[in-house]
Amino acid sequence: MADDAKKKEIFEKLRNGVIQYDEDACREGAQEALDAGLDANEAIFDGLVSGMEEVGRLFEAQEYFVPEILMCADALYAGLDILKPHCKQMDLGVKGSVVIGTVEGDVHDIGKNLVKMMFDVAGFNVYDLGRDVPLDKFVEEQLKTDSELVCLSAMMTTSMVGMPKVIEKIKEKNPDCMIMIGGAPTSKELADKWGADGYAEDASNALKEAIKMVAFLKKLRDEKLKK
Amino acid sequence: MNSRERVLKVFKGEQVDRVPCFSGMGNVTEAAINQLGYKFAGIHLDAKMMADTAASTYKMFGFECGVAPVDLCVEAEALGCVINVYPQAEGILYPTIKEKLIHNEGEMDSVKIPSDLASRGRVPLLMEAIRLMKSDIGSEVAVGSYVLGPFTLAGQIMELNDLLKLSFKKPDKVARLLDLMADAIIIVAKEYEKAGIDYITVREMGATSDVLSPRVFKNLIMPPLQKISRELKVSSVLHICGKTNDIVIPMAEAGYTAISVEQKNDVAETRKKLGPGAVIFGNYDPYNVLVSGPEELVRATMRKCIDDGVSAIWPGCDIWPTVPPENMKAMMDETIKYGGKN
Repeated sequence: MADDAKKKEIFEKLRNGVIQYDEDACREGAQEALDAGLDANEAIFDGLVSGMEEVGRLFEAQEYFVPEILMCADALYAGLDILKPHCKQMDLGVKGSVVIGTVEGDVHDIGKNLVKMMFDVAGFNVYDLGRDVPLDKFVEEQLKTDSELVCLSAMMTTSMVGMPKVIEKIKEKNPDCMIMIGGAPTSKELADKWGADGYAEDASNALKEAIKMVAFLKKLRDEKLKK
Repeated sequence: MNSRERVLKVFKGEQVDRVPCFSGMGNVTEAAINQLGYKFAGIHLDAKMMADTAASTYKMFGFECGVAPVDLCVEAEALGCVINVYPQAEGILYPTIKEKLIHNEGEMDSVKIPSDLASRGRVPLLMEAIRLMKSDIGSEVAVGSYVLGPFTLAGQIMELNDLLKLSFKKPDKVARLLDLMADAIIIVAKEYEKAGIDYITVREMGATSDVLSPRVFKNLIMPPLQKISRELKVSSVLHICGKTNDIVIPMAEAGYTAISVEQKNDVAETRKKLGPGAVIFGNYDPYNVLVSGPEELVRATMRKCIDDGVSAIWPGCDIWPTVPPENMKAMMDETIKYGGKN
């Protein structure tokens, strides 16, 4: 096993690799973590996700904008692709599968992809339907996969209005399924009115919401480890 | 003073009896489409249907303009993208780009403007729609059209994801593409001018400061926007979505007759920054206020826009077609009652 200093150094490399959108550093850091026999889950959360949390903060402070976030996401994936096959199944008491996509009439998927990334990180099974997805497809896919979460994204007002139909149909068949809506035109009021369980108005908020959720999972994991 | 005179005077910065209530973006209503016996998917492909629908918001509610097109894909289609109008859709779905023109970074340099751009795709159909609308309502209201801004158009002909990253990693390459986009936009805008529009809106929606830093906006987005404004003969409006307070000064310096901002902009502050002479259009939320809001919210929002100092009551985006007729009427009524107070 690597000593603590070595471990810290590797996690720091992963974290900074994400923050400085350095894909090579993330790849190297991930490989070093594996070579040193570190826990892959830990490397993901304390390295990559920790970096992404800082990116979220930089975005809020308007030091980073969307291009930077996209590059940070690429760096995170570069590390994640190496670490993920070595992850132990996280036993968190949730099954963790999610159906995600941009609704029909909308071809924007940046926010959706950022949220997807955080689900990937958290070890969810992600069923990504892509963009411009016919509304019934969400309902079908939810039923087929029995996912406990469905995320609907739309960037344009002109496509958002399809959302309530999907929510209604899913809730009718499976009232326990949680639904998160996201995109510039969405709001808490609309989420409430349409019966969605959560919302995020833009990519950064979506990222924040997803980080919050993943951080919560991490807390659960840490508590479990302590026991 | 009729609506047309009022709007033209506002563009010239002259005194008017009250602020006008109009738009430079899509404003067709389902109420009118049903009354005309049309289908939403059909109005994008037929000049007469498009013109009739575009004129109907004035005819039914007194909304002070006529605007075509209705969708955002005209320029990209003329450049060679394939669009989807969702012909089978039951409800309202706006056309989107199905097939992009640039598939990877390498193709950015090889993309060219077709020499017959002005006669490709639906550009001729748009000219016909503008002419029809002009002869129908053109003496009573101002007739307008819109084009996309260079960055937004580039985001349609290639992956927005790639465009955003490259605007950071390889700004020179993106700058060349945006310059080319500006040329294409100018060609289309000139056709609309020939067809007789009174004003044109350049919708640079993708370059909002929620997405790009003010620095990138200044270095990368401004030059092609200025290139376009230099070529326009009619009155022009620069529209940018999102939190625009940090970029209203460059927006005002981009050379357009007016700027248009949405609900996330603090217009009172913008007015203070730009001074009494600036022509500022905005800034109500066309969905959460105009479509979803109770009538009193619509009225209060119109009063706030006027109090904040807008030069015209104007939506933050396209008016969503399912807008309740009562809310359209309340918006017009409140503008007429309250719009002369300044």
